[in-house]
Amino acid sequence: MSAAILEGVRVLEVADGVAGPFCAKLLAEYGAEVVKIEKPDFDSMSERQWAGQRAASPTSAEDAAFFLHLNSDKKSVALDLESEPGQATFRDLAAKCNVVVESLRPGHMASLGIGYQDLRDLTPGLVMTSVTPFGQTGPYRDYQYTELTVFAMGGGMAREGIPERHPLMYGGEIAGYFAGTAAAAVTVAACVGALMTGHGDWIDVSIMECMAGHPHQIGRRAPFAYNGELDPRQEPRTSAAGGREPYAVGTFRCKDGHMSFLPLGPRMWPNIARMIGRPELTQDTRFIAPEDRVKNRVELEAVFQEWLDRHTRAEVFQAANEEGIPGGPVLTPPEIMADEHFIDRRFFRQVAHPDYGTLTYPGQPFKLSDAQEIDAVVAPGLGHHTRAVLSDVLGMNGSEIADLRNRGVI
Amino acid sequence: MRPLTGIRVLEVAEIWAGPYCGTLLGDMGAEIVKVESVQRISRGPIRPRPGSPGYPDGEPGERPWNRVANFNAINRNKMAVTLDLTRPEGVDVFLDLVAGSDVVVSNYSFGVMEKFGLGFDALRHARPDVVVAFMPGYGNTGPYKSIRSMGMSIDAISGHSALRGYPDLDLSRLSPVHHPDAVGGVTAAFAICTAIHQRARSGKSQFVDISQSEAFIPHLGEVFLEYELTGKTRERRGNRHPAMAPHGAYPCEGEDAWVTIAVRTDSEWSALCEVIGDPGLAGDHRFATLENRLQHHDEIDDVLSRWTSQHNYQRVTELLQARGIPAGPVLDCCAATFDDPHLQERRYFDTIQHPDAGTHPMSGPIWKLHSESESRHEPAPGLGQHNEYVLGEVLGITRERLDSLERDNVIGTVPLEGADMGGVRRANRAAGGS
Repeated sequence: MSAAILEGVRVLEVADGVAGPFCAKLLAEYGAEVVKIEKPDFDSMSERQWAGQRAASPTSAEDAAFFLHLNSDKKSVALDLESEPGQATFRDLAAKCNVVVESLRPGHMASLGIGYQDLRDLTPGLVMTSVTPFGQTGPYRDYQYTELTVFAMGGGMAREGIPERHPLMYGGEIAGYFAGTAAAAVTVAACVGALMTGHGDWIDVSIMECMAGHPHQIGRRAPFAYNGELDPRQEPRTSAAGGREPYAVGTFRCKDGHMSFLPLGPRMWPNIARMIGRPELTQDTRFIAPEDRVKNRVELEAVFQEWLDRHTRAEVFQAANEEGIPGGPVLTPPEIMADEHFIDRRFFRQVAHPDYGTLTYPGQPFKLSDAQEIDAVVAPGLGHHTRAVLSDVLGMNGSEIADLRNRGVI
Repeated sequence: MRPLTGIRVLEVAEIWAGPYCGTLLGDMGAEIVKVESVQRISRGPIRPRPGSPGYPDGEPGERPWNRVANFNAINRNKMAVTLDLTRPEGVDVFLDLVAGSDVVVSNYSFGVMEKFGLGFDALRHARPDVVVAFMPGYGNTGPYKSIRSMGMSIDAISGHSALRGYPDLDLSRLSPVHHPDAVGGVTAAFAICTAIHQRARSGKSQFVDISQSEAFIPHLGEVFLEYELTGKTRERRGNRHPAMAPHGAYPCEGEDAWVTIAVRTDSEWSALCEVIGDPGLAGDHRFATLENRLQHHDEIDDVLSRWTSQHNYQRVTELLQARGIPAGPVLDCCAATFDDPHLQERRYFDTIQHPDAGTHPMSGPIWKLHSESESRHEPAPGLGQHNEYVLGEVLGITRERLDSLERDNVIGTVPLEGADMGGVRRANRAAGGS
């Protein structure tokens, strides 16, 4: 029987927000044992995630959703890192771990005596991944942030939206998740290095840099570096259109919702004409050459739209697929969860929660041919695993644990 | 030493998602061999018009395929060989390469590698512990596996498009988006690292099935679970947030210059009022609580915009950050990012000398390793630039055989007529914009 792919990797997480917890969640989903360190009381560290359980707030459902999503498959240990015995316990735990994922403000771990240097001395193979909005160095390192501000600073926002309005953020905590995934990748790479050489590393991941180094940012930055080319916000039908069929690029209304298209280039014109049931248009003098279709794109878009208005997303999707035109229906979560493709791939997972009943979770971001999938476990209650982890990992006995508890450390 | 030093990766990939995965693995220290062909290149048109966008000084030059800005940006730290995988001679050489490699990654459409005779079984036959990652848009199984996809369609089908855009405008005004390619690339790099890690312990081969769509959906996980908890589908928010107000982008001094501001608490609101220097604002009961501020967001936006438009975005950012209020400029990905003092101090950019494209500042890795005092990287390879080294020196193919392969166009350094029909026009135009 195969093991889970990251079985045997033990991770300590000291993180809030999205990026750090998501990094550790990815490791947990593939079989790493992730121990999430939280404060014994409900303040700062866990405030946002736990808000949903505390009181009705404008985002209580959203906060609960965040917490449930980001922390499934983890263990929770409540430990006061501001106290000396808490720090000592953390060091003892780290010495038995392969990875520490942290998102505290730069320098804070070191000030608690649990920085990379402190921990590496205990276990040279340790990989420590610090995931912060701006990284461990540089003038912005202590800046406050939210998804909105760091997304903007990473360059993702300038081009989203239309020219006569303000630029837009994406829908959700896109920068945080992206950075968390990058952090997970480089963390496991460093674990490979540690296996080979016995030496770990300290990885500095900046959410801002992850966005700045996003392939589409660097793909736009290079033409500027080469030739001074700028890249402002544009109307959708013009901005993606270069070299493609401009009347068929972007998102379009259809009978029961919207469809997005990105045809591959002028060679797809006959496919598009066939898709909309108008093959004769390829003989129409107004539309013969690519330049003609650019010039007469408003006319052509009207023809295209007229067809779309008569068809549902499912019909349009099928017609596009038959012609090999990349296109997809704009779907919402309930539609996606009910979609035959994701059902066939068993992507979504059912997870039982003691208070909420059975919840459908997004599943694993990739599948492996020869590794066991772990059974999804619901996000833990605060400190749920404190006793078990201290006993199993550190071999503490009942009275030692009781002592820490009485002193308010756990 | 970078952690994947000693790992060799064959990258058979075009456009963004696959090449980005290779780039990340290269940044981790793996040796990336990019496999292209002279029959089909993803390096722009073979004979672009002078003045075409995306080339140094607007000049495509003698070898425009080696001078394409976005190709060179995304393919740092790689070697490049050419092989015609539609012919047995090319496939044989490829399999010889696989025997000496650790990973094969491809973002070709489902079935293309199998059609070449390079499916998982064939690759594993050549290298029993190989890690293979194929990443079509919707994965390697299921009813949509053969559907052609681009970032835009994956964005729609994964639930992100329904959350984007201005809430008062129809979705038909959505900006094109390619973020799912980036997510697919970074997720593939993560997946490959997990398989390499396990292989180092168990010696096992692994087939990694990546659906770019399924890589992306977890990035919207709270939206799905919110639906599970409440039965309600989240509405589009634009730049607003239900637990923070004000929350948005505000105009600054200068053309198309904007700053973002997010106020999380009542005390941050008071501090913001002090920074603006309008004492009446702090006492205005319409804005006293989050609920009030959400209700009167438009009025706050007007007041804030009047103030921000008198300053440049650096000034607004500094004034607010000094009071602990999240604020940051909307940096475009061109001059503003290059000029950013933070990225400069962190040496995010690297001056790269490219033999065909000249010397320019280029973007670097998205993480820093403590063990590495400086993270420098090599320029993107020219087409077939490493044929001699990889095929000749590493594989030991004789001079005569290399010459014969080149005569038959199995390998080469110059694209054949019509070879720019692949994914290329897309990639080329993406230099100007997608």
